[in-house]
Amino acid sequence: MIEFKDFTFTYPTGRPAPALRSITMTVRPGTICGVVGADGSGKTTLAAVVSGVSPHLTGGEFSGSVEVCGRPVAGTPMAELATSVGLVRQDPFSQISGARFTVREELAFGLENLAVERDVMRHRVEHVMADVGLSELADRSPYELSGGQQQRLAIGSVLAMRPAVIVLDEPTSQLDAEGSRRVFGILDALKERGVAVLVMEHRLELLARSADQVVVLEDGAVAADGPTREVLGDPRLPEWGVGPLQYTTAARRAAEHGLWDESRPLPVTLETAADGFHQVTHRIPIPAGDQP
Amino acid sequence: MILSIDSLTYAYANGTPALNGVTFQVAAGERVAVVGSNGAGKSTLARHLVGIERPTSGTVEVEGRRTDELSIAELARSVGFVFQNPHDQLHARTVAKAVEFGPRNLGFTAEQRARACEWALRVTGLTHHAQDHPHHLSFGQRKRVALASVLAMDTPLVVLDEPTTGQDHRSLALLGSLLGELAEEGRTVIAVTHDMEFCVQHFERVIVLERGRVRWDGTVEQWLAADATALPADGSRDDAAERSGPPTDLERPQLTRLARELGWSAPVATVDAFLSELRERTPSVPAN
Amino acid sequence: MSILAVSDTSPIHRLNPVTKLVFAFSVTVCGFAHTSALWPLALLLLVLLPAIVYAGALRRFTQLLALFSAPVVVALFLVQGFFYPGAERVIAALGPARLSYEGLIFAAQTALHIMVLVASFLFLLLTTSPSRLMSAMTQRGMSPKIVYVISAALQIGPAFAARAQRILQAQQAHGLVIRGLRGRVRALVPLAGPLILGAFTEIGDRAAAMETRAFGVTRRPTSLSGPLPDSTGQRVARAVMILCAAAAVAVNVWGVIR
Repeated sequence: MIEFKDFTFTYPTGRPAPALRSITMTVRPGTICGVVGADGSGKTTLAAVVSGVSPHLTGGEFSGSVEVCGRPVAGTPMAELATSVGLVRQDPFSQISGARFTVREELAFGLENLAVERDVMRHRVEHVMADVGLSELADRSPYELSGGQQQRLAIGSVLAMRPAVIVLDEPTSQLDAEGSRRVFGILDALKERGVAVLVMEHRLELLARSADQVVVLEDGAVAADGPTREVLGDPRLPEWGVGPLQYTTAARRAAEHGLWDESRPLPVTLETAADGFHQVTHRIPIPAGDQP
Repeated sequence: MILSIDSLTYAYANGTPALNGVTFQVAAGERVAVVGSNGAGKSTLARHLVGIERPTSGTVEVEGRRTDELSIAELARSVGFVFQNPHDQLHARTVAKAVEFGPRNLGFTAEQRARACEWALRVTGLTHHAQDHPHHLSFGQRKRVALASVLAMDTPLVVLDEPTTGQDHRSLALLGSLLGELAEEGRTVIAVTHDMEFCVQHFERVIVLERGRVRWDGTVEQWLAADATALPADGSRDDAAERSGPPTDLERPQLTRLARELGWSAPVATVDAFLSELRERTPSVPAN
Repeated sequence: MSILAVSDTSPIHRLNPVTKLVFAFSVTVCGFAHTSALWPLALLLLVLLPAIVYAGALRRFTQLLALFSAPVVVALFLVQGFFYPGAERVIAALGPARLSYEGLIFAAQTALHIMVLVASFLFLLLTTSPSRLMSAMTQRGMSPKIVYVISAALQIGPAFAARAQRILQAQQAHGLVIRGLRGRVRALVPLAGPLILGAFTEIGDRAAAMETRAFGVTRRPTSLSGPLPDSTGQRVARAVMILCAAAAVAVNVWGVIR
């Protein structure tokens, strides 16, 4: 569970304006919350705040509160927070601990720190390694991996620790379609296990499939917060600096020409788009009551 | 031909092959997207174009000159290479200075320099950030500074390594119009990317790399029309590929997949193409 | 290219890392115990060389030993050989520089001592997987923080070099002509600031990465590799080596006070 209450945060240096303004939002256990927004809208700061990186390591002024699993982030030491919240940062290279020399050891590092039994640890590490598709690279140095592989390593390192809350900042930025789907497949599984997932992601199609809730950030404030389909289909998305899905754009443009049944919500997935356009091309009558 | 690659093979120091007999040519003014999954060899290929990697065998020629006979700096007159990661290249106090670095090295006159930099900053939307410190910019902005620093060098060939990573909606639109502007100037652009939406919107030719080999080379329309399962088969599929399973199908753009789902045969990728196809397939449009 | 060992190719590789650490330490201490040139030479040829040959790492060892000690050795011979204060047996004179017999002897002694130090630790690094060394130290109750500092130090060199390499490539791709070592130095000097700054940022990032992975939550972390192989033989060997080192120090101190 992640709970923001009227949270405002300002970095100590650089721009004097707050990076986050009056954020109030909740991510429940067993749900995936997607966060979208333009460059500089505060997504990365939001991730840093949930994990305690801000203000613990970056410094900064804040008001309001952020609680993770009932513990106030600002008042809990970071290493202790790490037992309940896992953070996958945007730049995977900066996430290599530097304390371990192979992929397998890197995955085990967090578990060693948590003093997990060796047998349990071995089992979990092998499992996670297979999940993120790194088994073949188990004995390679983390520094020698490609960007995409480092990204999967960063995700695996956090997964291995089994936190109750997991935050991922653009986890698929360097992954191809296959790799991205795999990551979201893992997130779906985490959700089933009751984990609260907060994911900053610009590929809306991935969110449309997996997220229960989507939050739009604009200039550090929450511009929209609601069920995935509603938020991603919102016509104001471009105003907030977020590119809508092609399915949505196509349906909205089609509607201007009377080629979309306006009683249907704008589609955000392949399936709903196909259903809607199928109705149009086959001239399946639009129910009378719904006609304008 | 501005670029000519012949049987390019490259193996890492430990012997792992990264590129295997890559052959293709690019004519001046073309816009080519090199696509493929992670690990297909895209970045390694791009690094050969600017001379950072040297072929194990085969040749790469830019403007008729073999890259393995030139230094990186000499090649920089012909090829502008925008690295995937902007972190390690911008060590100037201001954005303007970073952009000026290349033209200065290439011996532009003060006037040429001023003109090139002004243009590069404008087309990348950074004019207002000219006096900012690059470290105070966001990742997406820094990526654009790296791009501007290469555009200012006025090279006939521009190579972009994963230009869309970390770019938001507005930056993507800017990048798109920038590519249009480069095309109008007749400059050749080669982008290495795994972003298929970006590829179909701004490029005319697609080269698909798979496990270090060219799997497909043709126009965007042809590529969209081709069914994944019928992909070529130019007889070059090696045993290793067979052993490690079926070829990875690159994810098609959203509207291409939608058109397929609807059973349409025509290749569609953009909203406009989709709408005109939709209009044709809806016999009588209700009169508003 | 890394100097760090990864595989288990010989019985020496499989020894407990602490045994090899004690070995490297003791040989170094013994090497410095006596000023004569013969003593370190004997250690090099009769102790270190056979051990390296047995471990099958002679090639890398010779290359790296040359790489790391050559600059020091050359500098020593130039400075001490030509400018040894109070030299009496002058072999040749070039203006103020006088190549002297005493200078050459002193340079040789110092060079051999330094080579023993470098060689001992190369032996350790070439035959020991660094992570195993680290977990051996943790298991012996050393503070995880100190162990971390050592392991980070082992990796920072290669990381720094890779970063400098990337920057040089980017500069060249922007048309900067870089020729030879001098060109590289000239290109990198203006970047010393950003490079160091970058290193600091990286250290900050690593610190954050460590903290988000619960580093320091418990005083006694567990270990993936489990207890490392040890034997009575190795325990005895370690005790003997430490005694040798202590004896060497004692002989040295006694020699001085006498």
